[in-house]
Amino acid sequence: MRPNLVLAFDTSAAHCAAALLSGDRVWLKSEAMEKGQAERLMPLITELLAEAGKALADITAIGVGTGPGNFTGVRISVAAARGLALGLGVPAIGVTRLEAMAFGLPRPVTVVEDARRDEVYVQRFDAGGAGVAQIMAAGVTFTGAVAGRDGLQSLPIAEAIARIAAARAGTAQPRPAPFYLRGADAAPSSDPPPVILEA
Amino acid sequence: MTGSLTFLGIESSCDDTAAAVVRHVPGQPAQILASIVEGQTALHAAFGGVVPEIAARAHAERLDHCVEQALAESAVALADLDGIAVTAGPGLIGGVLSGVMLARGLALATGLPIVGVNHLAGHALTPRLTDQLAFPYLMLLVSGGHCQFLIVHSEHRFERLGGTIDDAPGEAFDKTAKLLGLNQPGGPAVQTEAALGDAKRFAFPRPLLDRPGCDMSFSGLKTALLRARDAVIAEKGGLTVQDRRDLCAGFQAAVADVLAEKTRRALEVYAALNPARPALAVAGGVAANTAVRARLQTTCAQAGVEFLAPPLRLCTDNAAMIAWAGIERFRAGDYGSADLVARPRWPLDATAAPLLGSGKKGAKA
Repeated sequence: MRPNLVLAFDTSAAHCAAALLSGDRVWLKSEAMEKGQAERLMPLITELLAEAGKALADITAIGVGTGPGNFTGVRISVAAARGLALGLGVPAIGVTRLEAMAFGLPRPVTVVEDARRDEVYVQRFDAGGAGVAQIMAAGVTFTGAVAGRDGLQSLPIAEAIARIAAARAGTAQPRPAPFYLRGADAAPSSDPPPVILEA
Repeated sequence: MTGSLTFLGIESSCDDTAAAVVRHVPGQPAQILASIVEGQTALHAAFGGVVPEIAARAHAERLDHCVEQALAESAVALADLDGIAVTAGPGLIGGVLSGVMLARGLALATGLPIVGVNHLAGHALTPRLTDQLAFPYLMLLVSGGHCQFLIVHSEHRFERLGGTIDDAPGEAFDKTAKLLGLNQPGGPAVQTEAALGDAKRFAFPRPLLDRPGCDMSFSGLKTALLRARDAVIAEKGGLTVQDRRDLCAGFQAAVADVLAEKTRRALEVYAALNPARPALAVAGGVAANTAVRARLQTTCAQAGVEFLAPPLRLCTDNAAMIAWAGIERFRAGDYGSADLVARPRWPLDATAAPLLGSGKKGAKA
């Protein structure tokens, strides 16, 4: 059996980040960018593999950040992960940004991340598991330990995704799907149809 | 490249998620080994039109399933492919981007070349997939998103003679259906009603017929329909079933008239090329409208030009046309580029004056 090698990446916010995880060894590459992640992601992965001295064929699982965050950014990574997984014949495993931020921190902990529009994404993690992820007003305060927003420092996101994906890789996983948390912002048509008269 | 080529095609530029496998042996008709199209009509029905974010969400979670289904149905393994062709624009960027990223992931994993295809080129080259039509031919692309006349000179040279300066006719059919309380998509619903109506009862405009050239406009027609509808409602408090049929018939006749006359003019320009086998090919959902089609057939017959309409499943959005366009480009020496990017705006004929969306971002299509 070949050794496990997890490739993870995330473009859910203003960055393009990737990690490779082999046992305890981690290789990381992350670049800040507001846009251009679609163009940068594949070259970044190729460069990371080269730096680690690994080949695509060595990858045994893919971890991908599913958000919440920038809708387009999330889709860039999820679509790429699904394509890579199909092409390599390995599983792709979705990890939310909030799970990744809570990874490795002492629990209980509340993850609070900027959601723009004066709102935050919030999810509480305790010893028993994770609470429901939700969106709250940015001004909300929490008791106890907080991660993100002036709180505890999380692992680099791509590394956390890689570690969570590695832990899940042994069991059957659904395909990664974007975790939007926000609706599509579409309103049903407002004009009522005309009254049709009986002839 | 003289041997057999087998391409995977991927399409996600509007509201159809599609994947296909096409094989071509030189000198033989191409074979569509599988063509999967998963529509999204139900997802958008409540909104009276395609919602880009809803479309993008569906594409991102369906594309890989469609690809797997196409490979399974064609019994072609990824290792048997010679390349991947993907729609890289123009279209709704969220969907196009999902398709391009999936294709880039597949290409990186397999080492296959990836060819970015212009969605409009996919439609424009379809008559060669279905009928081995020789260049140059005249193409009328008439759908929910596009309306243009193109002389197809080669697999990469498309000369636009004219097109809509505002809405596409398919969009106008959808809007008409919505204004009259008919189901979406509007084309089939309006056609059914129009068949029972009197096209002469309401006088609708024939926009731009008074001007030379092949440009068209359908936005004013929508407004005219709304006014005519509201006049009837003001008088009676609603529409009778017959009012609705007559409105549909009048609207459809106006669209058919405009398309027929502009086609006649486009054929005149095309005839100057002295093509060996003069032909007009149509693509797009509106080409399936029987009244429009009948008028175009008459116009072609009068001009002594063959009329060619691919089967409906290849007339509307699909991935077989994308795979085919990829094969055509590959044979012409375009082996693709791994750093393919999605282009929401991508006119086929970059030399023609922009019809839609000029400004610093450039023409839309």
